[in-house]
Amino acid sequence: MQEILNVLIYGLVQSSYLALVSIGFSLTYGISRMPNFAHGALYILAAFIVWIGLNVLGLTHIFSILVAILIAAGIGGLLYWGVLIRVRGMEASEIIATFALSIVIVELIRYFGFFGTSYGLPPFFEGVVTIGGITIDYQRIIVIATTFLLVLFLWVFTHHTKLGLGFRAIAQDEHVAMMLGIDSDLMAALSLAFGSALAALAAVVWTPITQIASEAALNVLLYAMIICILGGLGSTIGVLIASLVIGYSQILTSTLIGPEYQMIVPLAAILVILIVKPSGIFGKQKELEERV
Amino acid sequence: MNYKGALVVGAILALLLVAGCAAPEEAKKEKEPIIIGMPLPTAYVYGYGPEHAAKLAVEEINAKGGVKVGDEYRPLKLEIIDTRDLEPGVPVTDALAAIEKLILEKKVNVLVGGPARSEAALAAMDISAKYKVPTIISTGVLTPAYHKRIEENYEKYKYCFRLNSFAVPLAVENVEILEDLKSNYGYDKVYVMVQDVEHARKFGEVIAGLLEKKGWKIVGFDKFPTGTTDFSASLLKAKTEGAQILLIQMDMPESTILLKQWTDMKMPAIPIGFIAAAQEQKAWEATGGKINYLIVSSGAFIGNAEVNYEPAMKFYKDYEKRWGFPPEAHGTSSTYAAIYAVAAAIEKAGTLDSDAVVKALEEIDLKGTPVGRIKFDPKSHQVVVAKNPEEGVVDCWFQWQDGVRATIYPQSVAIAEVKLPPWMK
Repeated sequence: MQEILNVLIYGLVQSSYLALVSIGFSLTYGISRMPNFAHGALYILAAFIVWIGLNVLGLTHIFSILVAILIAAGIGGLLYWGVLIRVRGMEASEIIATFALSIVIVELIRYFGFFGTSYGLPPFFEGVVTIGGITIDYQRIIVIATTFLLVLFLWVFTHHTKLGLGFRAIAQDEHVAMMLGIDSDLMAALSLAFGSALAALAAVVWTPITQIASEAALNVLLYAMIICILGGLGSTIGVLIASLVIGYSQILTSTLIGPEYQMIVPLAAILVILIVKPSGIFGKQKELEERV
Repeated sequence: MNYKGALVVGAILALLLVAGCAAPEEAKKEKEPIIIGMPLPTAYVYGYGPEHAAKLAVEEINAKGGVKVGDEYRPLKLEIIDTRDLEPGVPVTDALAAIEKLILEKKVNVLVGGPARSEAALAAMDISAKYKVPTIISTGVLTPAYHKRIEENYEKYKYCFRLNSFAVPLAVENVEILEDLKSNYGYDKVYVMVQDVEHARKFGEVIAGLLEKKGWKIVGFDKFPTGTTDFSASLLKAKTEGAQILLIQMDMPESTILLKQWTDMKMPAIPIGFIAAAQEQKAWEATGGKINYLIVSSGAFIGNAEVNYEPAMKFYKDYEKRWGFPPEAHGTSSTYAAIYAVAAAIEKAGTLDSDAVVKALEEIDLKGTPVGRIKFDPKSHQVVVAKNPEEGVVDCWFQWQDGVRATIYPQSVAIAEVKLPPWMK
C-alpha cells in the first residue's frame, strides 16, 4: 500500500519537475518555431544568480528570484534581437546559435569560479508532511503547486490578454497575424524572453531540492527535449501529458524493476513515438490550441 | 637649457642607459625554474583542491629558497592545464593531448596530479613512458590496475608513481567501519545504493561481497543513472527491508537529493560511503546541514578533515590561512605531499635527469608529512598505505557532526566516535 502511495506522490513530483523544465522550451518553440538550446544553461544561470543574490549581495530570497527571472528573460530577448533575428527560418543555424550561447553561458559560469558541488539554495519553507506513512518535504509540494499555477496562468494569459492572444495568433499563422498588425519579431523576442523566464522559474523552484551544478544544464535540456518531442513540439497540453507519462513511468520503473532503468524509459518513449507518431502525442501543428 | 639643466638631463639618460643594460643582465641571473606540469580537471573537486594544494606547497618551498639541485637552489614553477577528463562526453584523447602539450610546449620536468579519471590516467602512462617524464598521480585514479601495470612492466612504466589511495584499502576500511558498527549496535543489514557507472558499481559489488562473507545481509542493491532526481522508492524499500546501513557510492551532484530525502524521511539507517558532493566543508551549508551523521570517505588521505595528527592539522590550518577555506577533499593533501616528495627526490638525485629522479623517488622515506609517512613500493610505485601515520600514508574517514568533518577512522588519528542520528537512538 505504501509503495502505491509513494508512486502516486513522487510520480506527481517527478511529473511536475519535468513539466516545469519543459514548458518554457515548448512555449518558445510553439510561438516562434525556434528551439532554444540555451534553455538548460539559462536554468543553471538563474540558479547561480539567486545564489549570488543571497550569499554575495545579501538580497532577500524573493528579490533574488525576481532578479534571476528578469535577467534570464532579458538574455532570452537579447538572444533574439542580437542573434536569431539574422538566422530566423534557418533551423540548423538557430540550433547552432542557441547551442553556442549555451556553451558560452556555462563556460562563463565556470570562468567566474562557479563550479564544484558546493552550491545550494535554501528551500522556500523548511519542513515535511507525512501522508499515509510517506514523507514529502514542503519544497516538493511547492514544485507541484507551482506547476499547477503556471499551467493555469498560461491558459488565462493566452486566452484573456492581448499579448497572449498575439502569441496565439503568431503561433497559428504568422503571415495572417502580421497582416493584422502583429509584430512577428517582437512576438518572437518576447516568446524567447518568456521561455527563458520559465527556465529560470523552474530553476529557482527545483534547485533547493538538489544542488546547483553547471553539468545539469545538459540534463535539463535533454529532459525538456524528450518531453516536448513526446508531447508534440510546441504543445503545452502535450508537455503536461508527456510529463505525467514519463514522470510516473520513471517512478514505476524505479519501484518495480530498478532505478537503473528509469533513464531508459524516456529514451525508449522517444524512439516509440518517433516511429508511431513522429509529431508527438499532441503534435497537430496546425491546431492553435495545441500550440500555445 | 643652462648647464645645470643639461647635467640633470644627461644624468637621467645615463641612468636609463644603465638600467636598460642592466635589466637583461639581471634576467640572466634568474635561476631556471623546475617546471611541474599539472594536468587536472580544474572544475571538479578532484582538480581544484589539488591545484590549491600544489600552489601552497610551491609558495612554501620557493619562500625557503627553492629546491637544491646539485650546488644551486632553483625555484619551482607550476604549469596547470585543464584536462576536463571528468566531464561527460569529453574523450580521453583530450586529456592525453593536454599532457603532451605540457611535455612538449611547457617542457615540464615532472608531472603531478591527474588526470583523475582512471581510463585517462592509464592511457597517459604511455605518454610518461614515451617522454620519460617522472609522474606522480595524486588525485582520482582509484583503480588497482594503475600500480599493477607498473609492477608487470616495470622497465616501461617505471616513471609512473601514485601518491593516492586506491580501491582495495578503501573497500577493506569500509568493511572494518561497518564491522565496528555491527559489534557496537548489532547492525547486520545493508542496502547498497550506487551510481550506475563502472567504478561505483564495482566498489558496491566488492564491498557487498566482503560484507556477505562476514555474515551481513545485503537487503537491496540499486544502481542509479547519473541525473537521478528521486530516490524515494529505494529509500522506502530500504526502510521496509529493515536496512540499518545505506552503503552509497556516488560522485554525481544529485546525490545530495538522496541525502536530503534521507534526512527528511528520518531513515533509520546510517549512510556511509564515497559521496563526492558531501566531501567539502562547503557541503554543510549547501545542503542546509542535511548531511549530518553521514560517514564519508573522500577516498583521500588525512589532512582534509579535522584529525588527531599534528602535521596534518598544520597543513589544514596553513591551507585555511592561505585560501580562506579548509582543504577541499579528495586529492588535496596528497597533492601537497606529492610536491614535497618531488622536491625531496630532486634534492636527493641532485639532478633533473628522469632516471635519477625516479630512483630517488623509489628511495625516499619522508616522515611527518601531512598525510603520514611517504614511502613508495619500489616495484609497483604505489605509496604504502597504513593505519598509522608513522608507518605509511593514512586514509581518512570522517563523519559529519554538527558542521564538523570529524575523523572517525582509523583509530590512530580519529578525533571522534561514530554518532547515531537522534531518530536511531
